[in-house]
Amino acid sequence: MNYLFILRMIKSSIGRKQIMAVSGILLSFFMLIHLAENLLLFKGEEWYNGWVNILLSNPLTIYLEIGLLILFLLHITTGVWVRIEDWVNSRKRKYENINWQGGRTLGSATMLYTAIALLIYLGFHMLHFRFTDHSMGFYQMVTSAFRSKLFVTIYIAGAVALALHLSHGFQSAFQTLGINHKKYNFYIKILSYAVGISMVAFAAISIYFLLGLDIKPEAEYNNVIETIIE
Amino acid sequence: MENKKFNITLRVWKQKSEDSKGRFETYNVEGIIPEMSFLEMLDVLNEKLIKEGKEPVYVESDCREGICGCCGFVINGDVHGPDEHSTVCQLHMRRFKEGDVVTIEPFRAKAFPLIRDLVIDRGALDKIITAGGYISVNVGSAPDANTIPVDKNTAEKAMDYATCIGCGACVAACPNSAAMLFTGAKISHLASLPQGHPERTKRVLNMIKIMDSLGFGNCSNEYECEAVCPKEIKISAIAKMNREFLKANFLSEEDPDLPPVFHQSTVDVPEDE
Repeated sequence: MNYLFILRMIKSSIGRKQIMAVSGILLSFFMLIHLAENLLLFKGEEWYNGWVNILLSNPLTIYLEIGLLILFLLHITTGVWVRIEDWVNSRKRKYENINWQGGRTLGSATMLYTAIALLIYLGFHMLHFRFTDHSMGFYQMVTSAFRSKLFVTIYIAGAVALALHLSHGFQSAFQTLGINHKKYNFYIKILSYAVGISMVAFAAISIYFLLGLDIKPEAEYNNVIETIIE
Repeated sequence: MENKKFNITLRVWKQKSEDSKGRFETYNVEGIIPEMSFLEMLDVLNEKLIKEGKEPVYVESDCREGICGCCGFVINGDVHGPDEHSTVCQLHMRRFKEGDVVTIEPFRAKAFPLIRDLVIDRGALDKIITAGGYISVNVGSAPDANTIPVDKNTAEKAMDYATCIGCGACVAACPNSAAMLFTGAKISHLASLPQGHPERTKRVLNMIKIMDSLGFGNCSNEYECEAVCPKEIKISAIAKMNREFLKANFLSEEDPDLPPVFHQSTVDVPEDE
């Protein structure tokens, strides 16, 4: 069995970045699917729980989850590794003043901070939605959580961090994999910003439930009537 | 002419060696003519300092026409000075005016140890070249021109990558002090030409391996290198290097970790009895 090429991939600075790039692109696709799933929250309880049931009743879901876990682990380990290396190889003396004049953006300059924020957020998200009691139903679990201001603040922060992270990360992954051509560089950039900005929709979902926009006026009216009758 | 002369204040980084503590020293430079190059202005300053018995500012320069890659430092936060895609020696004092405070720092990177003041050791770049930035040819007379046909577009593209002068500005401007643009340019140059093809697998793997061992950082695709490169080398060089690495690692059948195999004579040479 030839495993040298895998070893070389891990040992090389470019190889590690390519592992990070491939896992990053796949994770971006997951985020888009995850966003589409969660937009079902706007359609109401029936739709959302219906989709969750489809996922839970599918025997392949657990393998997809394991695959996702592997992607996250690959992305996080290579990311931490690359960062530690950069830190070890960083300048002994900093410049008194250096003007950034290339493609440095808010997203690219904050990759480390958004990554740390996302890691903390991921742990929080897992504890509250994945490894928790699901007996009240998934729709109820999500919507009741989004009635809390603290919770929604954390989710907005997470969505903004994700948007910044992907706005640079998505296009950066293409360059790392050697996909760069003046014909389509512009489109990759636009696509990257589009993917990044679409992540803000996650924040929109939580705000929607915080403001109680899902409670229909007549339902509210009925509730009032009911309380009066009681 | 006389009234065009002006004075500036220079803040120069002074440091005796890599391990000693550095500091900024302030000098007043008087009677600067706008037509002077930046290095000539430093010459004027140094002549004055030497006459006064003081220590001059150490600065490296050679060709002074923008092709050797010797000069290079950071002027007011700009790598190679405020002019776009140019070396320090091509910068002229007409870019400055009376009373300006100009701060000069050396290129800073872990892989570039400081020799003195503004002079740095770029030897790490040479080590990357010795790892494979060349082609192996048999000795003998020069081959005839055009024995290996190269079309014009390919030749132009290879030339664009070959214009790298190894000044180290890409490393100096990189937030992670990575040498990806330099290494990418060298690999892309030779990978574009038929002469470079036989060794391309070995070349890319070895050059990246050596680059990783010299204390350069990783690429975070922020394209600061491209913005300061005096020879306008594009980050497509880095993309090409990444492609070459993938190709070498996944598609090539030769084992680059083995020592080179030289052509061996098939004729049995009788041993002496």
